[in-house]
Amino acid sequence: MEPNERVHVNFFAPSTESMKAEVSVVRIVLAVWAFLSFGIPAVIWLAGLGDPSGLGQSFFTDDRSMLGFPLHYWLLAQGSTIGFVILCKIYCTLWDNLVVHLQNKRR
Amino acid sequence: MKKQSLRLLTSLSMILLFSGLTFAAGEEITQIKPGFKLVPAIIMIALLCVYIGVGFLSKVSSTSGYWVAGQGIGKLGNGAAIASDWMSAASFMGVAGLLYLKGWFGLGYIVGWTGGYVLLLCLIAAQIRRFGKYTIPEFLGDRYNSHGVRMIAASVTVIIAITYSTAQFKGIGLICGWIFGMDYTMSVFFAAAVVCLYMLISGMAGVTRNQQIQYVVLISAFLLPLWFLIKKAGGVGVLPQLEYGKILGDLMDGKTALGQLDANATEALRRDFLPWGHGDFYHFVALVFTLMVGTAGLPHIMIRFYTVKNEDTARKSVLWGLFFIGLLYWSSPVYAILGKFWNPAGGANVADVIILSAPETAELGTPFIGYLAAGALAAGLSTVAGLLVAGASAIAHDWYTTVLRPDCSDRQALQVGRMVTAILCIIVIFFALHPIALIAQIVAMAFALAGNTIFPVVVLGIWYSKSNKYGALAGMCFGLGMTLLAMFGWSAEIAAFGGEGLLPATSSALIVCPLAFLINIVVSNIMHDKLDEDSQIKGDNLLRKIHNLPETNDPGF
Repeated sequence: MEPNERVHVNFFAPSTESMKAEVSVVRIVLAVWAFLSFGIPAVIWLAGLGDPSGLGQSFFTDDRSMLGFPLHYWLLAQGSTIGFVILCKIYCTLWDNLVVHLQNKRR
Repeated sequence: MKKQSLRLLTSLSMILLFSGLTFAAGEEITQIKPGFKLVPAIIMIALLCVYIGVGFLSKVSSTSGYWVAGQGIGKLGNGAAIASDWMSAASFMGVAGLLYLKGWFGLGYIVGWTGGYVLLLCLIAAQIRRFGKYTIPEFLGDRYNSHGVRMIAASVTVIIAITYSTAQFKGIGLICGWIFGMDYTMSVFFAAAVVCLYMLISGMAGVTRNQQIQYVVLISAFLLPLWFLIKKAGGVGVLPQLEYGKILGDLMDGKTALGQLDANATEALRRDFLPWGHGDFYHFVALVFTLMVGTAGLPHIMIRFYTVKNEDTARKSVLWGLFFIGLLYWSSPVYAILGKFWNPAGGANVADVIILSAPETAELGTPFIGYLAAGALAAGLSTVAGLLVAGASAIAHDWYTTVLRPDCSDRQALQVGRMVTAILCIIVIFFALHPIALIAQIVAMAFALAGNTIFPVVVLGIWYSKSNKYGALAGMCFGLGMTLLAMFGWSAEIAAFGGEGLLPATSSALIVCPLAFLINIVVSNIMHDKLDEDSQIKGDNLLRKIHNLPETNDPGF
């Protein structure tokens, strides 16, 4: 078999136009996903580093402006999970716009 | 001492979560109301008859009908099936209790279990659907052209299916005991008979249709008491999920239904709800990451994407599935916070019955107790059914018809499928009646197991063409080995694998999963020249299919 007949698929170096479109959508989604999953806890962690008791009391735990919720609780109990659902919706929309559009153009 | 009790709490809550009401639950439930309850029992029996009837009406006669419902399920329907596959009897009853016990730290479970679906959606779902066959071991076996990879994946699928189902039966048994006054042994046989009956008759089509009905039953039973409870706690009663914030804010200041608490009790509440009262940042992230890659790697969840019409439906059904799951997870904290409001210092025995005691607390009357029990039972049955299909397909399809008897007919394959489903059911009943400690341990590790073993090899199989069977085998063996090592370390009480250790057994994927990726990539590259031509061609063909690449190599590609 000739080496150039091999299929090349690499998430970080997409080879075809449609795969490039797919990967660009996935990258956006993964970046937001990482922020929602690990960014928010990291921000809460950083803000709470000043608490001598080590429990992480900070602006986030004292704030009550979000429907009366302590902000740090709301951000994870609802903020990030609602974010995930919206993110899935964005993924489907982006996919329809970028990838499906590209496929139709080809046809 | 503190370390020990924390470790105990972690293991306790994990087991509680997966095996339902294991601890002191029997006596707590019977404390609510012992004996046979006529009206709830009638409601439950009626719903069970519906499940079996639906199974009978969706009778199948082909292998693809049995395993993947003839690939004709729509996005809303599959979304509901994803959600009810996911929501076990234990998560129906256990998550609120977990949030009650672990406070803010418990939210890691909610974030992990919802975020995993994002990974599943954008890295795996559509490609798996384009592959278009029946099982995950089959995908891996074909992609890497290796029976070894197929066997490891099938074994992991079967192990997860059996242990997880066993854990469900514990919850189901307790519910039946609570409503019908049966003893545990009778309850297990009763529930097993129901599961087997409709699964054997109908296969995946019946299971999927039932899962849709079961989702409606379980979510309505779960949500309804909230409106009554929040009113009782002084809320407006419009949208409880948005109204419990003020109660939580007051809790952190020591204000409960019992009045203003003293300084010590207030401090205990603050500890529960401040970020790091039940674990530090590293353990939180490790937990969230493990649950996410575990969710995305669970074979019985991935198998769902084979049952849909096309890849567009596969994508949109994840969106719906996640929304349906979200409804449960946005509501579980309400139960937990209201539980704290009325009973700020309760332990595991209070946490256990938060959901089951809700109709009584909300004064919803006897019929609703039956409906709630039917909801919890629906949650258990749908999960067991999904698991048994995944487990049985791994044995019957991947072991028998692919490796042992590639030349058998469709009819024979279907028969073997039914037989294996029944055998699996018998094994599960056996383990449910003779619980051994190992089962509970494996269940607690299920997410780490799926995340370390299956997730890396599936993602690389899809997104990295250079990954080959040598890398796949090395990565899978490493993931499996490390998970087992952590599990035995955990049961031997070695500090490093405990709840506060460097490699907590139940959250080991943060370290092990990326290493499994790395090992797969490195070994694949080292062994690149040794790969036989047949494996290369087969792998390439499969990649062309799942990425919609042109059949032949054109210059533009």
